[in-house]
Parts: sequence; structure tokens; C-alpha cells
Amino acid sequence: MTRDTRDGRVDDLRRQLRSLGYLDAGVDRFVLGSARGARGPSTIAALASVRVGLLAAVLLGPAAAVGIASRLPGLVTGPRDAVVVALYLGLIFGLAAIAFTFVVSTLAARLADGDVRRTRWISRGAGTLVTAGCLTYLTLWWRSANAGLAWSAPVWTLFAIGVAVAISLLLGHAVSITAFAVMTARARSSGGPDADGVSPTDATSRSTWRLVLLAGVVAFAGAAALLVLTAPASGVPGDRPPLAVVSPGLRVKVIAIDGFDPDVFESLRATGAVPALAQLLSGGGARFFPDQTRDPARAWSTIATGQSPDIHGVRGLETRRVAGLQGALMPGSGGLARALNGTTDLVRLTRPSTASGAELRTKPFWEVAADAGMRAAVVNWWATWPAIGTGASGPLVISDRATLRLERGGALDAEIAPKELYDRLRVEWRVLTQEAAQTAGTPLFHAADPEASVVLRRSAELDALQIALSRRLPEKPDLIAVYLPGLDVVQHTLLGAGGSAASTISARLDNIRSYYRYLDLLLADFTRSSPGEIVIVVTQPGRLASAARGIFAVTGVVAAPAVNVEARAVDVAPTILHVLGLPVSRELSGNAITGLFLPSFMARFPVRDVPTYGARPAGLSTGRGDALDAAALERLRSLGYVR
Amino acid sequence: MIAVPAFVADYQVSIDAELRRLVPDSGATVQRAMAYTLLAPSKRVRPVLTLLSAEICGGRRAPALAASAAIELVHAASLILDDLPSMDDAPLRRGRPANHKEFGEAVAILAAFALLNLAFGTVAKAYDPAVASKMSAVLSDAVGTEGLVGGQAGDLLAAGQPIEFEMLERIHRGKTGSLFVAAAVAGGLVGGGHADAIASLSAYAKNLGLAFQIIDDLLDVEGDPAQTGKAVRADARRTTFVSFSGVEGARQLAAELCETADRALRPFGRRADQLRELSAFVAGRSI
Repeated sequence: MTRDTRDGRVDDLRRQLRSLGYLDAGVDRFVLGSARGARGPSTIAALASVRVGLLAAVLLGPAAAVGIASRLPGLVTGPRDAVVVALYLGLIFGLAAIAFTFVVSTLAARLADGDVRRTRWISRGAGTLVTAGCLTYLTLWWRSANAGLAWSAPVWTLFAIGVAVAISLLLGHAVSITAFAVMTARARSSGGPDADGVSPTDATSRSTWRLVLLAGVVAFAGAAALLVLTAPASGVPGDRPPLAVVSPGLRVKVIAIDGFDPDVFESLRATGAVPALAQLLSGGGARFFPDQTRDPARAWSTIATGQSPDIHGVRGLETRRVAGLQGALMPGSGGLARALNGTTDLVRLTRPSTASGAELRTKPFWEVAADAGMRAAVVNWWATWPAIGTGASGPLVISDRATLRLERGGALDAEIAPKELYDRLRVEWRVLTQEAAQTAGTPLFHAADPEASVVLRRSAELDALQIALSRRLPEKPDLIAVYLPGLDVVQHTLLGAGGSAASTISARLDNIRSYYRYLDLLLADFTRSSPGEIVIVVTQPGRLASAARGIFAVTGVVAAPAVNVEARAVDVAPTILHVLGLPVSRELSGNAITGLFLPSFMARFPVRDVPTYGARPAGLSTGRGDALDAAALERLRSLGYVR
Repeated sequence: MIAVPAFVADYQVSIDAELRRLVPDSGATVQRAMAYTLLAPSKRVRPVLTLLSAEICGGRRAPALAASAAIELVHAASLILDDLPSMDDAPLRRGRPANHKEFGEAVAILAAFALLNLAFGTVAKAYDPAVASKMSAVLSDAVGTEGLVGGQAGDLLAAGQPIEFEMLERIHRGKTGSLFVAAAVAGGLVGGGHADAIASLSAYAKNLGLAFQIIDDLLDVEGDPAQTGKAVRADARRTTFVSFSGVEGARQLAAELCETADRALRPFGRRADQLRELSAFVAGRSI
């Protein structure tokens, strides 16, 4: 049993003994244990660096996973993803630490050149450098991972900083003793002056690996606890702020038409060929510049959320799934990023995938409406899979993967919510498809070009199916939003390839005009406005490069006649929410376009606001996507969305 | 005082038999001089440490006997050289006249060199080249300028003058610690221990070796010559650990070093209980 003593001499001796490698059970032996017996400085550097890399992997991997999860929404969808990301990042940090430690210790040995004083100072300097770098990184990570929280949660911040300091000191110490061991080994091998009696043996015989392991476990647990406890307080019932609805008593039907060119429409309207569409757009409306990337997932998510892509999180249709991860990664679009994607795909580290709701960080307007207690529904909108199950009050979701699931049957994988709706639609599926095929078999399409004929028919069926599905929703929702891709698919397929003869292009333009007429027929009955119903048409020019602008038009009893206002894509969602009687969140990038409505309506229902709609629930979905990933990708490829 | 652990006796018998096999107490004068010091009554702490280290690493006792004997051969050689008139000029060793007093200085020197040579030869003959090579390096480090030779040189240079604590530690590490560490590491190597296990044993031995030396210093101050086999206050002119810490401080630090040595054995769990008994014995052998 150790007895305490007040003898200052003993304390001083104890300190000196520790500095000489006695009375210590720290990390040293773990780091230098494998290098014991090695003679060459390079061998010691290599073996010890591997141990430092292991420490770095265990300590920094989980912390970095927290940071990257907050920076790359959609990548981490649950605890399993968090663990896999931590492993990947642990591997990266481990390899980096191995390389860094090896280089630093080797260079330090050259610098010291056997000089005792320099050996000690340089090894301490190398350790301090690593400690400072590590702590800087971890502090920045904390800020990044907890934007808006920081010192408003002082306990957690202090805890996080404490963990960061512990990790940094430990790694710095590991690098320091490695450098020290390499320097003394070099001094011996070169026959230089002995390091004041300090040999590599000193550095290779300290402490127990169990303590190191314990420290690693504690640090890991600390980082993991932070991951869970400091995540944005989303996905919990209390996250829905109360939204006071001042309802005008209107139901809203939102028709989203992709690939819509206002010039083509105007030419057809002039001939009276598209009366229903003309009616829907008769009041004029707002014009907005579409997303410059022409990426449909990105653009339509902007419209749905009222936020820019940087905020809503869906930055592109093409994503990458990392091996072992449920979540997806939004790759860059530059040449280097493409090359990197190609390489990682080749080695099966990643595989192509498409944007999904997992990447969506902010609530689309149908989820806001559902949060306010309204019956909301969405059909085939981009990035709606996986359909988040937010309970009985959640929106009815027929996601962009719903038709694939309905075709194939089998267990639901969050393609449709709620499950009862899937069961019902599955029973009616044969009738639905027959109905769609019948509708698509319109005599409007009489293309001589077989390719055009196939595309027209297929697109027509696709759109008809969405309308048919919309009609099968239980009850009449307060809000329904339907996305129709057919026109964009036709336009992109027939005109996107380029290089065809003038006569062929002319014929294909005729085909595209015929599709406008088909849409007109398709929507004529579905959008027939009834008292108490508002129909909103939102169009974008689609994927073909053109100067065309988007249109946001309102028809119904409260719509102002013949307006023509400027707007932005982000204004669509707040406008829809306003007409439903909901307040507009001050967090949104867009505003409600009041000019689209009668002054009397605006006088009765002025725009109200709330601080926030709350964070979008994340990680509640049960969707895994494995089964339909390849099929969804293949379908998008066949429709020309993905190369 | 704590008695030698009971299990040690069994190991001592095996070690003594091996030493007698290697150096029979008969024949030429040099060989008798070798046996005189080598076979003198001793607790065999170092070779026992080798055998225990081999066993907790999964090895068997019989193959490890050659390694343990090599360690004791080196130790005996160092004792003969240390006692020479040109070195410590010690008249007594292990309760008997020192080797050079019995056989003369020249024979004592030859006996010491023969013991050292036999240590390396024993290792070379007993083990396959890979293990023998590593073991030779371990012995070489223990004997060389970082070990016994360096420690003794420092001791001679420091004689009669005050020295810093770091210098004292260097002397102790060279004269005692290095062979303790070599004993443990040699056992680990023969037992097939992996690098982490050997590092743990090394840490154990390093702390135990210093504790052993501190207690030697304490014995010099207040030990019983009948038990230590040495004249009390033989080191009175020299700076010892006690000079820096006082008697109580030295006892306390020796105990702490033994506790640290025990902590280094945690990776081995209960398998290391006999090594813990050994450190308890070292800690309590005079206190």
C-alpha cells in the first residue's frame, strides 16, 4: 500500500522517476510496444506510427463522423450508418496519422542529430504540434456540428471540449514519444552521443495497453454520446411547433408540370388547342427563373421547401451510396469529382444512387400542412422516398418510387405512406394501369417515328398513372401536390440528343405539341375547379437548355385576374402555405406572393409568420432501398435522367 | 521480512541443476572459479524471472532453462568483475570471500570472461537461429555500455563525489535494471510472447529492477550482514538512493515501483500471480 508523504524530496524524485520512464502506466507501451527490439530508427518509426494510427482511428473516427454527418445531410441515416462512417473516417485518419507520425519522427531524428537537448525539445515540439492541430480540428468540428448550440448548451460544450482535449493530448503524447524513440535510436545507430542516458528502452517500457484501450473506449463513448445528444432536436414529437391555422376554407390542388415551355404553350393557346391549360393559366401568374443546373431533384425540392439547395440539402439527382452505408453522399460535379466517383464505383466503394428524402433537411409544404393538422398528400414528387411515417397526422405520400413498388408488390419499403394506402392501391393496381394505358392510348399521338411513338406513349402512361393514383386517395385532402414528368421526358428524349435532320426535328416538335394537347385532356377533368378549391400550376422548363422561365399560376375564387408578377422558385411553397391559412416561417428563403390573390382575400387573410416550422424529422424512416435501388436507377436511366 | 515465495524453491532447483550441468564444480582452476561464484547460494531472482516470463507467455519451463542460465551466467560474471580491487574492491560476496580473494585476481578475471562467453554459447546452442539472435542482442544490450558495463563505469566515475539523481538512476539501470529487463524479455522471447506481452514484461522488470536496487541501498544502511552477505555501510562513501530520499522516502518509492510493476502485468491477468509474488518478495525482502 502506498503511503502518502509530505516529504518534498520524495515528490521531486517521483517526478524525476516518471520522466525517466518509471512509475508510469500511460500510453507509451502501447505505442512503442511493437517497436521493442527493433534496431533501426526507420523500423521503430514505422512500427510505432502504426500504433499511433490505431489510436487516431479510434479517437478521431467517431468525432469526425459527427462532423461529416452534419455537413453532408443524408449520409448518416441512423446509428448503423454512424458506425460505418466512423469506421471509414477512422481508417482515413488512421492512415493519415501513420504517415504523419512516420514523417515527423523521421525528420525530427534528422534535426536532432543526437543532441540530447534538441532531442527532448523536438520530440515535445512534434507532440505539441499534433496536439494543437488535433484540438483545432476538433474544436472546429464541434462548432460545425452544433451550429447554433455551442455555449447555449454549456455543459455539453464543456464536455465536448474536455473530450477533445483528452484526445488531442493523447495523440500529441503518442507522437512525442515516437519521435523521442526514433531520435534516440538514430543517435545510437550513428554512434552519436548517448542521449543523456536515455535510450529507446526508456521509451518502450511504459504503462499498460489496457489504460490506453480504456481511454479509447471512453473517448469513443464520449463522441458517440455527443453524436446522439447534440443532434438537432428533430424527429421527436415535441419538435412540431404549434401552427395556428386561420383557414379560408379552401382546398388546394398543386399540379407540377416539368418540361413546360411557355412559348410553345402560348402558340397552342392561340389556336385553342389547350383550353384546359389555358383556363388554368388564364389569370396570368408569377414568373420565376428556374434552377440553372436543370437538375430536377434539386429544382423541385427548392420549390417544395421554399429554401435554396444549400439549405434543403438536395443538391443533385445523382448521389453515391457508400458501401455499408444506408445514407447517400452528394458528390461534386467537377471533373475531379467525376473521376473520383468513377474510381470509387470501380472498386465498389461507392455505387450510383439517386437523391432521396433522406437528404432533405427542411420540410416540404405538404409536411408543414400535415403538421398543422391538415390532410395533405403528395404524388410522385422528387425526393419523396422514403415516405416518412410521422404517425396518423402525417401526409399521404405516394413517393417517386411508389410505382416501382406497386408493379413488383412485396413488402413496403417506405415507398408509400401510410401502409393501408399501399394495401389499397396494390389491390387496385391492375385497374389503375389499365386505366392509364387507356388514357395514354389517345389518338392525339400519331407519330411516324417509332422512337417518338414509344416515348409519347410511355410518358403519357406515366402521367396518367399519377393522376389515377391521385384520384384513389382516401377522402378529399386539403392539399394535394402531383408531379407530372411526362412532358419533360418527351421533350428531353426527342430533342435532347440533337443532330437530327430538320424534318425530323420539325416532326418531333409536332409530337411535343401533341403532348401538350394530351396534358390538356388529362388535366381537364382533374383540375376542374369547384367552389372552395384552388388549383395551382407550377411549371419549369425541364432539363433542356432554354431561356424559358417557370410559371406559378393560381386559379380559383381567390385568384387575382390577369396578374403578371416576378417571383422566385423559393416563393412557391410559402404562397401555397399561405393560401391554406398557414403562417409563413421566417426561416424560409421565400415569401408569399400576395399579388396572386384578390385584395379582399389578402385583407381577410393577411400573411402571418412564425419563427420556424421545426426541423424535419430524420431517421424515422424504415426505408432501406436496397431492393429497389437498382430498379429505380435503371428506370431513371431509361427516362434519360441519369447517364 | 517476507520469505522467498514457496514456488521459487522449485524453480531454484531446476536452475541450479542447469547451472551445475553447464559449469561443474571440478576440473581446471578457472572452471572451479566460475562455479565458485555461479553456484554460491543465491535466491536466483533473475533466472526465476526468466522462467516465469516464459511461462506466462505460453512457454514451458524446460526450454527456458538455457535462457535463465544465460542470465545467471552474465550476472555471476558481473559480480566477479564488480568485486575486483580495481572496481569496488569488495571482500565478501554471497557470504563468502569474493572470487578474487579465493582464486586471485587474474583467475577471477578469466572466470568472469568465461562465464560471459558461456552465456552467449548456451543461448546459441539451445535455440533456433531466430530466437538465439534476438536473445544475443538482449544479452549484448544488458552487458554493454547501456547495461552492466555502462552502469559500472558510471559507478566508478561517481565514486567519492556527489552525483545528480539522473546519474544515479543511470548507474542503477545499468547495473541492475538492464539485467532484470533482459531476464524478463529473454523469457518472453523463449515463451513466444508477442510484442505487447514482452513490452509489459519489460515494464514490469524495469520498475522491479529499480525497486530491487533501492532496497539494496536500504539494506546497506540498515540491513543485517548475516542476511545480506555484505558488509553494512559498504556504500557509505557513495551517493545512493537513500541519499536523495531518506530511508522512509526510499521505502515508499520502492513500494510504488513494485506497485507499478504489478500494474504492468494486468494484461496477463491471474497468470502473472507468481510474478506479483516475486515483486512482493522484492519489495519486502528487507523491510
